[in-house]
Amino acid sequence: MNEPGGRAGYALRRVAQAVPVVFAIVVLNFGLLHLAPGDAVDVLAGEAGSATPEYMRQLRDRFGLEQPFAVRLALYVKNVLTFDLGFSFRHNMPVVQLILARTGPTLLLMGATLVVSVTAGIAFGLVAASRVHGWRDTLISILALVGYATPLFWVGLMLIVVFSLRLGWFPTSGMETIGAFHEGWRRVVDIAHHLVLPVATLSLFYVALYTRLMRAAMLEQVGMDYVTTARAKGLPEGRITLTHVLRNAVLPVVTMAGVQVGSLLGGTVVVESVYAWPGLGLLAFQALFARDLNLIMGILFLSTCLVIVVNLAVDLVYTLLDPRIHLA
Amino acid sequence: MPRRRFPDLLTTASLFLLVLAGPAWAQKQGGTLVMLVQPEPPTLASYINPSVPVGQVAAKVYDGLLEYDFNLKPIPGLAESWTIAPDGKTIAFRLRKGVRFHDGKPLTSADVKFSVLEVLRKVHPRGALTFRHVTDIDIPDAYTAVFKLSAAAPYLMMALSGYESPIVPKHLFEGTDVRNHKNANAPIGTGPFKFVDWRRGQYIRLDRNPDYWKKGRPYLERIVARFIADSFTRTAAIEKGEAHLGGFAAIPWSDVRTLEKLPHIAVTTRGYEMSAPVGKLDMNTKRAPFDNQKVRQAIAYAINRDFVIKNIWFGFGKPATGPISSSFAVAGLYSSEVRSYHVPNGIEMANRLLDEAGLRRGANGLRAEIVHDLTPYGEEWQRFGEYVQQTLQELGIKATLRYEDVPTWLKRIYTDYDYWITSNWIQGLADPVIGVHRLYHSKSIRQGTVYVNGTAWSSPRTDELMDQAEVEPNPAKRAALYKEFQKLIVEASPIAFVHELQFATVYNKQFKDLIVGPLGIYGSFDQAHQAR
Repeated sequence: MNEPGGRAGYALRRVAQAVPVVFAIVVLNFGLLHLAPGDAVDVLAGEAGSATPEYMRQLRDRFGLEQPFAVRLALYVKNVLTFDLGFSFRHNMPVVQLILARTGPTLLLMGATLVVSVTAGIAFGLVAASRVHGWRDTLISILALVGYATPLFWVGLMLIVVFSLRLGWFPTSGMETIGAFHEGWRRVVDIAHHLVLPVATLSLFYVALYTRLMRAAMLEQVGMDYVTTARAKGLPEGRITLTHVLRNAVLPVVTMAGVQVGSLLGGTVVVESVYAWPGLGLLAFQALFARDLNLIMGILFLSTCLVIVVNLAVDLVYTLLDPRIHLA
Repeated sequence: MPRRRFPDLLTTASLFLLVLAGPAWAQKQGGTLVMLVQPEPPTLASYINPSVPVGQVAAKVYDGLLEYDFNLKPIPGLAESWTIAPDGKTIAFRLRKGVRFHDGKPLTSADVKFSVLEVLRKVHPRGALTFRHVTDIDIPDAYTAVFKLSAAAPYLMMALSGYESPIVPKHLFEGTDVRNHKNANAPIGTGPFKFVDWRRGQYIRLDRNPDYWKKGRPYLERIVARFIADSFTRTAAIEKGEAHLGGFAAIPWSDVRTLEKLPHIAVTTRGYEMSAPVGKLDMNTKRAPFDNQKVRQAIAYAINRDFVIKNIWFGFGKPATGPISSSFAVAGLYSSEVRSYHVPNGIEMANRLLDEAGLRRGANGLRAEIVHDLTPYGEEWQRFGEYVQQTLQELGIKATLRYEDVPTWLKRIYTDYDYWITSNWIQGLADPVIGVHRLYHSKSIRQGTVYVNGTAWSSPRTDELMDQAEVEPNPAKRAALYKEFQKLIVEASPIAFVHELQFATVYNKQFKDLIVGPLGIYGSFDQAHQAR
């Protein structure tokens, strides 16, 4: 175990290391996004169906699009350093305000997915590994393969067809019943009801992934010497599996879950658009096609920070699961 | 199921209301309409951004001076009457008394003057064009607004709806930065519905305005605008009754044909008369081989319009004949006396014209190789692109398809002019001056401005005809000018006119009188009501 304060010191050091990384990502994002042809004014005028040239020039001027690239980059970096993410001219709102309103739903979706997929993945992996090549193992392995290979949007559409249109158990889309304006606990229940299908859709792939991972890790661990030792001590099989093997086998799943946070964020784009879930992924997607660069850079900045924080959290969780791992 | 009790309760409540209230309109009161709006509007400032989603929501909150009937004739709105001088240079509007904005302040002629001169003319994307002949607006009293024009502007009377030219409150906008106003996303108008709340990514809530100037209206208690990014989910929401209305392309044409079979769903193609959308192929007349009129005519001949409408647009649409949509026939501006490219032996005619143009087939049977750009506005255009590709193959022109996202495509066509031929669609809008001239006038060859003259074709005679039609107050003379204009454009064929798009509005039959005029879903919905 580390000396007292080591964990906090480690966390601080990691955060300090992250600053240049974030900075580099901000510059890279800015450069890449400005390579895209067309700008926000083209899109706005395109949507309006027509515009006078004077109107378009006026807008470009106002959005600061007439300034040279280097000036805009310097200005943006300066603003980000003071945590000012700029203004979305398209939405006529500060970017921070737009992003904050949409962060909650995405975190809810991601959090629920993470909990469901890790829990279910560990449970299925455990069951499958407990009787290798039994019918349960075969069934779980086949389902995992199917879940792993099915495209996300298709799962979403099929779940809507079956559980919403045919059976009528769940609403097709949205986060709350529109027009009902529930309060308090009724609102919580309402949101949970709306959350089921999106989480099921987004979890499917990860459940499959973690099941396979967990199964393999379990099988690897049961052959280890410490298991033989535990058996020799006369410990019951159930206890060996749950306290010794499980704890070791869960490490790769935790690693993977940490690494996958970034891709989970990518998956929310699809799920949020299929289920009209009012989150960040959908906002980012729409912002890109509208060339709302300030907004999309703001979302990317937030995502970068999120991934860094989650990776740090995963490293800290490691030391709790396995005291032999040291923070350095 | 607990849900079952809900309708009973409602019935009881409405019966109770009926007994209490008495007047005939009481039975129409109440109900929440959930309308799909696609995509989510970026703002509700319809005086700056008149795109479909913005207009669909804001037109419930803002009124205009006029409304319109299906014959494209103005009917009273905020203006209860008007007189136009014989020379067309003075238009005096008499405003309705007792109209109040949602914040309680009365509407006066000062609001009209401010909205037109300080807001619409300065920040509306086509306001500078619509109101360019307006030199001043006199307001002799609080309820009279007299437009002074430098020349007659017959199209002006078509552009005064609550969608196209919303009247905004002067007392909130005066002395502020109109382009960046706090009420941009929380509009305050005089319309039948008041803005209440906007949950980004979810919905906009509009509630009934009890002080609306049309007594007893509106009937609906609430309108909720919902945003669902995925077209399949939008269709599912309509089917399940979670949403009640979808217009423009919110429901894809393919799904309209499925939904219309359901007993609780109705479909109408009315309500797009003032949008007058036309699907077409734009040709770059500065690039060979499309610098040759015969080649352009050949393309126009080769397209089988019936096939396209039936197989790609699921039967929605009608063959287009020229630059002005046939929906302007009621206004007398449409003419079908033009060269007809809608012929049975189109391919044959096209091949003959290409031979005459000197574009001979090479050893490999090919006359030319080009890239065909697709307008990025939905799957239909991709299928249409594949159809064009095959058709061109029959003419000996090898076309590669190119599909880009909206900003990239707009830049390619209207800034870089880096294309041969592209599919496109455009709204004819309320009058040819506003919607059509921009595509053909030499003054509209403006690099970097979208949806103007991207083919770079013009002629002195057509310029002249448009300039005259813009200021011609006599309807018969104006019609004659447009007749010649249509003939010349169709002959020169800078654009192959394919079909007049028919959008379908899909709605739940519980709701009545949703689409009551040529503005369709851009209407105020003050007559809409829910059947009990």
